Amino acid sequence: MWKNYLKISFRNLKKRKLYTAINLLGLTVALVSFILISLYIHHEWSYDRMYTDADRIYRFTQVFSDSEESQLVSSTPSSLVPTVLDEVDEAEMGTLLFDLSIFQSVVIDNAGEKQEEKKFAYADENFFNVFDFNVLVGNPQTMLSEPRQMVITESTAERYFGSAFSAEGKTLKVETTDYLITGVMEDFPSNSHIDFDFIVSFKSHRHGSDPQWSPSNYYSYVKLREGTDLEAFESKLAVMTEKYLGNEMRQYSFETGFFLQPVTDIHLGDQSLNNIKPTTDKKYLYIFAVVALLLIAIGVINYVNLATAEATERNKEVGLRKVLGAMRAQLFGQFVSESMILTFAAMLLSLLFIYILAPQFSDMAGFEIGAGNLLSPISILGLFGLMIVVGLLAGIYPSLILSGMEPIKALGNNIKLGGGAWVRKGLVVFQFFISIGLLISTFVVQSQLNYMQDVNLGYKQDHLIAVTYPYQFRSKIEGVVDEMKRSGSAISVSRAADKPIFIQAGYSIMSGGDNTEAFSITGYSVDTELVETLELELLAGENFSEADPTRQEARETEAIHPVLFNEFAIKRMGWDPEEAIGKNVNLGFGMGRIKGVVKDFYFNSLHHSVGPLVIYNDPDQANVLLVKLPAGNPAPHLATLNDIWYEIGDGRPFNYEFVDTAYGQMYTSEQTISQIFGLFSGIAIFIACMGLFGLVSYVALRRTREISIRKVLGATQANVIQVLASDFFKLLAISAILAIGFGLWFSSAWLQDFANKASIGIGPYVIAISIVLALAAVTIGYRAWKVFKLNPAKTLKSE
Amino acid sequence: MIELKEIDKFIESRFQRIFILKGVNLTINEGEFVTLMGPSGAGKSTLLNILGLLDDDYKGEYLIDGRPIHRMKERERSALHKSEFGYIFQAYHLIDELTVFENIETPLLYRKVPSAERKSIIANLLDRFNMVAKKDLFPAQLSGGQQQLVGIARAIAGKPKVLLADEPTGNLHSAQAQEIMEVFQELHKEGATIIQATHARSNADYGTRLINLVDGKVTSDESIQHA
Repeated sequence: MWKNYLKISFRNLKKRKLYTAINLLGLTVALVSFILISLYIHHEWSYDRMYTDADRIYRFTQVFSDSEESQLVSSTPSSLVPTVLDEVDEAEMGTLLFDLSIFQSVVIDNAGEKQEEKKFAYADENFFNVFDFNVLVGNPQTMLSEPRQMVITESTAERYFGSAFSAEGKTLKVETTDYLITGVMEDFPSNSHIDFDFIVSFKSHRHGSDPQWSPSNYYSYVKLREGTDLEAFESKLAVMTEKYLGNEMRQYSFETGFFLQPVTDIHLGDQSLNNIKPTTDKKYLYIFAVVALLLIAIGVINYVNLATAEATERNKEVGLRKVLGAMRAQLFGQFVSESMILTFAAMLLSLLFIYILAPQFSDMAGFEIGAGNLLSPISILGLFGLMIVVGLLAGIYPSLILSGMEPIKALGNNIKLGGGAWVRKGLVVFQFFISIGLLISTFVVQSQLNYMQDVNLGYKQDHLIAVTYPYQFRSKIEGVVDEMKRSGSAISVSRAADKPIFIQAGYSIMSGGDNTEAFSITGYSVDTELVETLELELLAGENFSEADPTRQEARETEAIHPVLFNEFAIKRMGWDPEEAIGKNVNLGFGMGRIKGVVKDFYFNSLHHSVGPLVIYNDPDQANVLLVKLPAGNPAPHLATLNDIWYEIGDGRPFNYEFVDTAYGQMYTSEQTISQIFGLFSGIAIFIACMGLFGLVSYVALRRTREISIRKVLGATQANVIQVLASDFFKLLAISAILAIGFGLWFSSAWLQDFANKASIGIGPYVIAISIVLALAAVTIGYRAWKVFKLNPAKTLKSE
Repeated sequence: MIELKEIDKFIESRFQRIFILKGVNLTINEGEFVTLMGPSGAGKSTLLNILGLLDDDYKGEYLIDGRPIHRMKERERSALHKSEFGYIFQAYHLIDELTVFENIETPLLYRKVPSAERKSIIANLLDRFNMVAKKDLFPAQLSGGQQQLVGIARAIAGKPKVLLADEPTGNLHSAQAQEIMEVFQELHKEGATIIQATHARSNADYGTRLINLVDGKVTSDESIQHA
C-alpha cells in the first residue's frame, strides 16, 4: 500500500512542476534557516558545559556599594582564591585568571621578530585542574607552577614554531621577560567563555607570590564539593569579607561582598559583567528561536495554501478513489505521504546546501558548522523529528480537506474552489504579516544604528586614531609625542587613560570645600592636550596648562588639583558653569579646584545617558595615545607615525585603530541583529512571494475563461490585473495594518534598552510596506500578464 | 437480493420539496441484467447512486439480502460497498496519473488483496480484454472504447456481485458501444448482476429486464425475452 502511495505521490509531484518547485524551494530555504539558527542557539546554550563537574564550578563576583549605588563586577582581588581555599571547607579547588588585555596588549619577541598579541593571560597552577582543557604537550600539574612558565595553544604554536610538538622548551620574550614554554594545549573550544593564545604562570606576576585584597583585577573560580549549600557558602564568604576587609570598608564608607555565579551562566547571564569574550543576551536567542519557527511556518503555509488551492483539480481523483472503495484514512495517508516526500526532499536539499556553504556559515556564526554537529546521532534524530513535524504540519490540513470530499459532488463538474478559502486567506495574511513585521523591525534597528553613528557625540571622531601602549612604554611616550608633532603627521596628540568612546574609571565626589553634594562620578585621566585633540567645547574657565601640577605632583606636594568637570557634574553640584570656576571640590583623594567646564559629551555607549565626569591632569595613568591626523588621505601620515613609533619603541609594532571604527564596534550586537533581521526578513518575503505566485497562478488558471471573455469585451491589461490582484491586495492591506501594530510594539520594546533613542518616524513603516507591496505587485502582475497574453480565441474554444 | 421500499429523494427548497425520486419500489434478484431507461432528469443516476451506497440522503428502506442499510454502521456499510458493487461511468473516470495496470489495481489495493494475487487477477483481466500490450499506457493514450474497457476491468477486478453502469456507452461510437454491450452480456452469462442506466433503447435489448423511469417514478417494469 505504502509503496503505491509513494509511487503515486511521486508521480503527482513530478507532474505539477511549478507547484513542486515552489514548495520544495520554500521548504528548503525555511529548513536551512531553521537548522542554522538551531545550531547557533545550541552552540550558545552549550557554553562552558564541557568541563568535568561544570555544575560545581563557579566564578566569583564582587559587589561594591556606597550610599548612592552598587555595582556588581566579575573581577576580584588576588587574595580571594587562596583565602577561600584555606578557610572555607566546601571549596574543593579554585583558580585565578588574569586577562591582561583589559589593560594592554603585549609585544612578544621570538628571536628578534616582534608581534603584538592581545589574547594573553596569567593563570595559577590549578587552572588545568579546575578546567580540564585538553593538553597536548606538557604536564598539566606542573606547567604553570613556577614563575616564567608559559602555555600556548596549538594554533599559536603552529603560528610561531610550525607545530605543537616543536614548541616545548622554546623561549619567548614577553616585553622584557623571557618565558619558557612548558606546555601546549588544544585551542580553547569555541563554546568556552575563556579564550587566550598565551597563558603564563601567575607566579610570574607580582601578586602571584604576594596576593592582595586590592585591586580587583582577577577572575576567580572555585569548584565546590558535591552537595554544597550555596547560601551557606556565600554567608561564609560574608564572614570572611568582614574579617579581611571590614576595617577598610568602614574607613572609606563603602561595602563590598562576594557572590557566586555558575560558570555555565557566564555566557548568557548578566550582561553588565565584564567578560573575556563578548557574551550573548539570552533575549536575542529567544528572538532567533521565534524567527526560526516563523520561517518554518511560512514555508509550511506555502504548502498548505498551494495544496488546498489545488484541491479543486484533484476533486475527481478523490471522488473516484472513494467510489473504488478507498477509506478516508487511506486517502489521508496518500496525501500526507505526498507532503512527506516533499519534506524529505527539502531536507536532503537543505543538508546539501548547508554542507556546500558550511565554510561561509561557519564564518558568519563564529563557530564550526559541518558534519560534526550536523550528523551526530542527536542531530540526526532532531532532523528526522523536524522532518516528520514539518511534513505533518504541511500535510494534515490539505489531506483532511481532500480526503473529506464527497464522492458524488467531486465527480460532478459543478465544484467550486475546494474548501478552506478562508483558512487560505488567513494564512496569506499571516505570511505577509510576518514578512512586513520583520522588515519593519529591521528598519527600526537600522534607524537606531544610523542614529548612533550620526549623533553629535560632543567631540570629533574623524581622523582620530588611538594607540594603546603598556606600562613599560610610559618612559618613552613623551619622546614619541614630541616627534609625532614635529613630523607634521599629527595635528594634536594627547595621552589618556581610555578611548573617549568608553571611559570607565569610577570615582566619588565627597561633600567638602564649596560643594555639599556627594555622588559617584566617572574619572578621565589625561594630559593637557586632550581638550584640543577631541575638540571639546569649553563652556567656562580654561584648559589645563603646562604649569598646572599633575595629579601625581599635586599629591606629592599636597597642592590643590586643578580639574575639569563636564556640565552635568557642575549642575549636579548646583552651579552654573561660569560660577563654578575656582570653586573647591573634595575629590575623595584630595581637594580639587575647578579650572574649566566642558560641554557634555558621550563617553559611553548610547545605551547610557551622559553622567557626571571629572577630567584629571594625570598623564601617568594614561595608556592610550590619541592622535588627530591632518585631513585628507591618512595613509602617508600613518606611515610616518609608524616609523616614529617603531624607532623610538625599539621595534614595537604600531597598532592603531580609528576611534570612529572602535565606536561602531560597540554596537556589534545591534549590527548583528540588524543583519540577521534583514537576512531573515528577506527570506520570509522570498518564500511568501513564491507562495503568492503559486496561489495567483491557480486563480489565474481557474479564471482563464473569465479573463478571456473580459478581454473579448475590451478589457485592458490593467483591468485584468486589477481583477486578479484586488483580492490579494485586500489581504496584503490587512497584513500591513497588523504589521504596523507589531512594529510599534517592537520599536518601543527594543528601544527601551537605549538611553538615547532615535525618533522613529513613519519612514520604516512606509519603506517596509512599499517594498513588500511592490514585490507582491510584481509577482501578481507577472502572472496576470501571462494570462492576458493568451489568445482568447483559443482559450474560449477549449471550454 | 436488493429490495427498495418507498424510496423518496427530494431537494428541500424554500417553499416546496422537489422530488427526484418518489415512491420507488423495486426488487432485483441475483443474476438479473436490469436496464433503467428514461429521459434526462428522470432520476436514473440518482437511483444508481442510492443502489451503490454512494448517496444515503433519502427516505425509505433499502435492504440487501434482507439487511436494512440505514441501520448499518459506517464501517459495515463501507465493507458492503466494497464487496458488493463495481462502478462503470459514462466518462470512464480513469485516474489520469495512473497506468492501465495501476487503474485496475486500485480497487484491489483498497481491498488489501496481496500483491501476487493482484498481479494474477490483473493479468487475467488484461488478457480477457486484449489489453496486455497496453498495460503501461496512461488513459490519455487510449481510445474511448479502450478506456471504457479499462473502466469495466477495474469495476469487475474486485469481484463485486453487482455491476452498476451509468450511461456506459454515452461517449462512444456505435461500434464501440456494441462491443461494450457484448462484454456486459458475457459478464451476465457468467453470473454477474448488472444494473445499467441508459437512454438508448438498443442497449436494453442486451438485458433481461427493462424499467422505465419518468419524473422519479417507475412507469413500467417488464422483462425482455431473447430469441
